[in-house]
Amino acid sequence: MPRVFITGLGFITSIGNTCADVEQSLRELRHGMVKNPAFAADNIPVKVTAPVRDFKTDAEDAEDWTIPAPYNLKREQLRSLSPNALYAFCALQQAIADAKLAPEDVSNDDTGLYAASAGSPGIMSRMITRMNQLGVMRCPPLGVVASIAGTVQFNLVAHFKIKGASTGFTSACAASAHAMGFAFDEIALGRQKRMFVVGAEDGNTETILPFASMRALSLNPDPDTASRPFDKKHDGFVGTGGATVLVLESEDEVRRRGATAYAEVLGWGQASDGHNVAISHPEGAGLATAMRNAFKATGVTPADIDYINAHATSTPIGDASECKALRAVLGEHAARIAVSSTKALTGHGLSLAGAMEAGFCALALKRGFIPGSAHISELDPACEGLNIPRTTEPVQARAALNNSSGFGGANVCVVFKAVS
Amino acid sequence: MADITLSTQAPDALSQSFSPDDETALRESLRRCSPATVEAAIAYRKGGDTKALAVIIIGIFERFVEPDLRARLAGDCDDLRVIEDLGIDSLTMMEIVMLVEEVTKTKIENDELRGLVTIGDIKTFVDCRARGVQPPAPAKSILGDELRALMPIQAPFLFLDEARVGPAQCTASYRITGQEFFLAGHFKNNPVMPASIMLEALGQLGVLHLLAGLPVEAGKVVGASTIFFASTDGVRCSRVCKPGDVLTLTIKSKRVKEPLAVYSGSIRVGQEKAVIAEEITLTFGVVDAPVAPVGVLPVAAS
Repeated sequence: MPRVFITGLGFITSIGNTCADVEQSLRELRHGMVKNPAFAADNIPVKVTAPVRDFKTDAEDAEDWTIPAPYNLKREQLRSLSPNALYAFCALQQAIADAKLAPEDVSNDDTGLYAASAGSPGIMSRMITRMNQLGVMRCPPLGVVASIAGTVQFNLVAHFKIKGASTGFTSACAASAHAMGFAFDEIALGRQKRMFVVGAEDGNTETILPFASMRALSLNPDPDTASRPFDKKHDGFVGTGGATVLVLESEDEVRRRGATAYAEVLGWGQASDGHNVAISHPEGAGLATAMRNAFKATGVTPADIDYINAHATSTPIGDASECKALRAVLGEHAARIAVSSTKALTGHGLSLAGAMEAGFCALALKRGFIPGSAHISELDPACEGLNIPRTTEPVQARAALNNSSGFGGANVCVVFKAVS
Repeated sequence: MADITLSTQAPDALSQSFSPDDETALRESLRRCSPATVEAAIAYRKGGDTKALAVIIIGIFERFVEPDLRARLAGDCDDLRVIEDLGIDSLTMMEIVMLVEEVTKTKIENDELRGLVTIGDIKTFVDCRARGVQPPAPAKSILGDELRALMPIQAPFLFLDEARVGPAQCTASYRITGQEFFLAGHFKNNPVMPASIMLEALGQLGVLHLLAGLPVEAGKVVGASTIFFASTDGVRCSRVCKPGDVLTLTIKSKRVKEPLAVYSGSIRVGQEKAVIAEEITLTFGVVDAPVAPVGVLPVAAS
């Protein structure tokens, strides 16, 4: 079975738009939260979000968006892009450059792209409003492809002339972890030599605020503490958007190109809670099974693992059930293995989360650090028995897990190994 | 659920009342267009002056074409083909049509849109719609066997590969293959399309117009054997054309009254002007249409 390596990364996130910036934020625990001016109204109880840096995509007309250098898109490209597809577009350019891929490496029968995005509720709602107010023939001609859940792969596959496998995943907060897992399979099964894995979200009012009535968002108005997974006072997640792209390549391709890998992807596991449409299983049953399946698939045991990037979004129920799953699966190693949630810095990126955090794991394994879990002043008693470092340590982990859980009780666990 | 009242207006109905809200909406819709476009649109919507339509349409095209192609829209641009010459794809065309419809309160159906190839076609179409008259039949494509069957001129002296023939304007293309017999001697070791042959090609397009584009009274046709070259005036050649060049030929009818048909003509290669002829005049005669065209190839001039 071909081995699979991560050879390129692209980040457009709340904590940085380059690998270097992201690494610095992870090392120094610099978060990306701000008080969102759009949430200022008294009837909006949520105040903090983690906006994508340097981009402004609030305007209805994409030609009014602010897109920072070095990215430069034409009107013909912009008109079919949702904000999240724009972020993905830029992150993919970045990842291609990072992996030093030539145009012929990107566009060929053996290179595919799997993406995860919830689509663009903002663009969708403006299109439907326009349809109702002005008539069906006044909708933007590309409003559908800019707004439905496949928007990221539609745009990227067409623009970057991707010719291999392409599709999208819609398991909400586990979606880009699913994209990662199935992209791994494509290469491991010998169907593709290279896969781009993309996670992206708008991270704007329309994607974040609908979670408020679900009581899933933090009402803490202080950007410095609003997102604090595993802290006793965690009260919900902080929304974010952006995009992350990972380049996965077969061992043969890595050799042929003389590429430098960030990390090896050993494999993955998944399982479902079969419990509730939106609430995680109280014992973390599905997540525990996903981790066990990942160990089974890769032959790795908890003894081999030094770091786990937890899904932990900063909601009391979700964080607690993940802690139970971790203790159940890790056994005697629970007290040793470093567990952190980088969502304390980034906020929760929903469909973006799995890819973004896989990118963080790859960066950490390559650059020799273990990200700390920020903003904990008093550990939630539910975390008892786990090793949750509060600062980033310059420690080289041998292998890492990345957990993701989505609506419907979908759970994914991906295993990464450092490249020596 | 209560009735949903859509604010779209019936096709061709230009509102007599143009409210400040309408003006605000119009300015918003046209905010990426030139001030002249906005003013023309307001003038049109207030007063119904159809002369403003051309300014509006050009202004909307300007907003959508790539900046480096915008200069082409200055001056006479009626011959410019939307797709080939302005690089506008079908999706951008939908955006343009939508904005033209919204601003001019007209309606262009999909099947009508397919017949609109040049800026001139669109201007004429919208103008007719605004004035409540029937737009002209769209230009039709003629090529291959159909073209050869229609034309009294044949190889090796036919210099039209394919043509679009309308009632007042025709365009055609001809690729110089290098196999044309006269290129062997024109010039020695340096094949150049003779200017006289390029004028001939424009004249041939005039012949095609008379046979397939010109509206004539029922029961009559232009006799293919009655058409001859009469005169030409104001000819300027500005580009040497060689094998491999694709000539884009355009003629516009200036006056057509039996026995004379007067055209202006031009030839371009890509966007480069090659030949201008201010006037090309053909003579022709109208004859009775054949009663029972037995054994005759069907012609497009039906």
